[in-house]
Amino acid sequence: MSTTLSATRIADDAFEFAVSDPKEAQALAAHLREAKMADDVVAGLNRVAVYFDPSATEDISAWLQTIEYAPRPNDTEARMIEIGVTYGGEVGADLARVCEMLDLARDDFIGLHTATVHHVDMIGFTPGFSYLSGVPKEWSISRLGTPRPRVAAGAVGLSAAYTGIYALPGPGGWPLIGQIDRPLFSADLEDPFLLKPGQQVRFRAV
Amino acid sequence: MLRVLKAGMQTTLQGRPRISWRHMGLPASGPADPLSMALANRLVGNAPYETSLEISYGGFEARIEEACVIAITGAPGEVKVSDHPVDLHRTLHLNKGDSISIGPPAFGVRTYLAVSSGFQADEQFGSRSTYLPAGFGGFGGRALKAGDLLYPKKPPCPLAECKTPDHLRPVFSSSFALRACASAEFRSLASASQKTLFQETFITGRQATRMGITLTGHTLNAENDSLMKSAPVFPGTLQCPPSGAPIALLADAQTTGGYPRIASIARCDRYLLGQIRPGNRIRLLPRSPDMAEREFVEKRALFSEWFQGRFVF
Repeated sequence: MSTTLSATRIADDAFEFAVSDPKEAQALAAHLREAKMADDVVAGLNRVAVYFDPSATEDISAWLQTIEYAPRPNDTEARMIEIGVTYGGEVGADLARVCEMLDLARDDFIGLHTATVHHVDMIGFTPGFSYLSGVPKEWSISRLGTPRPRVAAGAVGLSAAYTGIYALPGPGGWPLIGQIDRPLFSADLEDPFLLKPGQQVRFRAV
Repeated sequence: MLRVLKAGMQTTLQGRPRISWRHMGLPASGPADPLSMALANRLVGNAPYETSLEISYGGFEARIEEACVIAITGAPGEVKVSDHPVDLHRTLHLNKGDSISIGPPAFGVRTYLAVSSGFQADEQFGSRSTYLPAGFGGFGGRALKAGDLLYPKKPPCPLAECKTPDHLRPVFSSSFALRACASAEFRSLASASQKTLFQETFITGRQATRMGITLTGHTLNAENDSLMKSAPVFPGTLQCPPSGAPIALLADAQTTGGYPRIASIARCDRYLLGQIRPGNRIRLLPRSPDMAEREFVEKRALFSEWFQGRFVF
């Protein structure tokens, strides 16, 4: 089945498509990136934006009007990665409060979080920051009223039914539940990103 | 070769913006004011995005340890070569033993120093630009410190002295008028706020970094949609957080955000964001995207002869 999509202009040098979910966003973004017409193609959770140089000779808007896209499976989807997490502790300082809000014992929370198959819905904000879906929709915890001035690299947060992993040290507003056991982003490696959109993740308590 | 004696508040090496990596969360980086950097490079015979120094609020001093050819543009701090005042916007031949100092500018934020052939710098993800939060690119991914040595890519060769034509020199003051287009969530603004955005004068808040500038003085009411999902943002995007004080994003902007994207500063005026300091006055001038695109083409045409058609900003 093929769908004709329409792009909205969100700036003099950017267009955007609205899509229904992160999977579709990632697949459409990959498809648009392959054409190498734009400087950047960025997927949000349900948006895909195309950023371009308006003085380039190619007519981007004419190209975008021709986009007929048939969703297809993402080829990274099948790959599952297991990542160790230290739940609680110094980095996961909000674990007790999160458990209280969800009305779960600490061990039950950890049991559920590690039993879940998480899905990398989006990489964004800063290099490597990963948004993982998978926890129940009811785990819709709000962000901290005042963001922390400094969150450690590898910190694992939980907010709005997403598990988020901080790739870089810096300020952050997600309630924190733990820390992963390896770097998410290493600029010097040939493949600097541990996670890719579409990948599946399982956490193991360490 | 330059030896840094005083680095000032924040001096980094910046080159071409980092493109094609935003989908993995990597910001563009590059000069906050690409036009000023390109003008400096032009005076030393370089391509517009050759790696140069971006010096915020002056306070920079260096000793020349090998003869070199440089040019200085951007925020007009007082420039002295071995204690003699010299002009911005001209080619400067420096000899071994000279010193160069750049004082705090009265207006604007960032002064650019280009050297013929460009500075050597770390390349990562296809660009030599420094991205401080992740510590890569430029000079080991960090801001410069006293004692650092900067090497040009090549020894200097004879170069005709030139000056930026007067009519092409950007002039900075404490007020900025920026052309802007309504963006994806403009309609989430209450109708009174839609008018305020384009009719009132905003004051730059204390947050004015390479990531973003906060606009204060008028509080905007945006529909507080806590369900709005993280969506792409770019340099130039104007976000409206719950505080109602919009944030204009710059070169180091994050790649996605969950606040309504109410407007976008047009590409033709975006380089000016790099020269706005806390307390400055900002007016947004409404433009349709088509109009903004035409004005961008016109602005580039103004510079195309001087840059021999090579400048993209």
